[in-house]
Amino acid sequence: MAADHERDVLVPVGDSETLRRTVTYAVERAHEAAVDAGERTTIHFVFPARWRIYETDRENVASASSLLDRVVAWAEEDLDGLIGEDQIATVAFETATVGTDEYVFSPGDFAAVIARYADANEVGRVVVDPSFRPGGSVPLLRSFEEELAERGFDVFEAPVTRQTRRRLPFTEIGLPEFLLVFAASLLFYLALGGWHVTDAYELVTGVATAGVVTLTLARVTMKSEVPRLRYIGATVLRMAAYTPILLWEITKANVALAYVVLHPSLPIEPRTVEFDAAVWGDMPVTTLANSITLTPGTLTVDVSRQHFIVHALIPDAEDDLLEGTLERLVRFVFYGRESARIPSPLERRDDEGGS
Amino acid sequence: MTPVEYLAAALVIGGVFFGFVATVGLLRLPDLYSRLHAASKSDTLGSVLAIAGTAAALGLTTESMKMLFLVLFLFLTSPTAAHAIARAGKEQEVDPVGEEAAWRDEDGGEAR
Repeated sequence: MAADHERDVLVPVGDSETLRRTVTYAVERAHEAAVDAGERTTIHFVFPARWRIYETDRENVASASSLLDRVVAWAEEDLDGLIGEDQIATVAFETATVGTDEYVFSPGDFAAVIARYADANEVGRVVVDPSFRPGGSVPLLRSFEEELAERGFDVFEAPVTRQTRRRLPFTEIGLPEFLLVFAASLLFYLALGGWHVTDAYELVTGVATAGVVTLTLARVTMKSEVPRLRYIGATVLRMAAYTPILLWEITKANVALAYVVLHPSLPIEPRTVEFDAAVWGDMPVTTLANSITLTPGTLTVDVSRQHFIVHALIPDAEDDLLEGTLERLVRFVFYGRESARIPSPLERRDDEGGS
Repeated sequence: MTPVEYLAAALVIGGVFFGFVATVGLLRLPDLYSRLHAASKSDTLGSVLAIAGTAAALGLTTESMKMLFLVLFLFLTSPTAAHAIARAGKEQEVDPVGEEAAWRDEDGGEAR
């Protein structure tokens, strides 16, 4: 029976300009397979959710399900075109949203989430939209397609001509990304040089330096699209509010550590603590990890998605950590005030009946 | 001495103190992870205070602005380096003192 399901097709769905044609291709493939086998096949349209905040992100959930509805409508239209209306359908459609309860970040994470769904539904083929790049296309990571092929799926890339995205010649960088990174580098260069903006020498070397920096590093700096300015502005403001609190915590941490280290009997109680933090996205997780390392008695050892392994040196450190003040502050910085209401790690752990 | 000089001196002395704590910590603490506490916290604050003291002595100039950038980057790089070392230690299965192989049998289903 499982062999039959191998003909089923899974299509990861996300916003991209070639999605429409990818759907057509997937329907054609599934239809062919159905005719060959003489029985119905199923196409699973799966929307991999990006990082999100538990309940506060209803907008994204709604837009995901409306996208899936649209995709099914397209697919039905294509199928009618293939077999004629009023015929018995050769292809059935299913939709799903996956990865809502975890933090998916790299192409590998997305592939893992998709693969889990595919295994549960015994799907063996994946049709990939070439311009849909979940997790970005960071040059250091393997691509989504490779990650899926690695997991044993037959991966078909939909033969769609990509809308020519405006790219600079010989590079992988789009114009908005280029301008943003270039401007930031140039401003930083000028600031370091003492802000002699009228000096031609400074300007020429600045432009040259910023150009080299942008060409070599823009793909690393910017993971996908240019972030929204308003979001950044709000984040920077809240970050400014967070800094003094962090500085105070750092000072406390150091006084506590100085006491422990200089005390003749070295009163330490090292232990490791593991917990899942309610933060998503690389910046927030990085900020939290760094803040943990800098504050009283704790050191981030390992992070995978939002699971933190923390080394605590002094007795109070663990309690402080699980009270989740830092975590709440980091959430406040990146997601705004609303998100601060999510319970602390300790309360969450109690809800699960301890661990 | 002017008040600013007092401030600069206080900051630099604080920096020296925490640098000293970091060194003592590095020597006295028992294992990789607890030593990293000393390296990541005291050493960061020590350097930051020393730099801030220098910036205060220089007054509001381009140089002191550069110092402030240094402070900012230290807060970013120092914990990152500590994390990298700690993580390498964990991956090499270096056990923390006081808790044996706490993470050795973690199944790590979704490693990375």
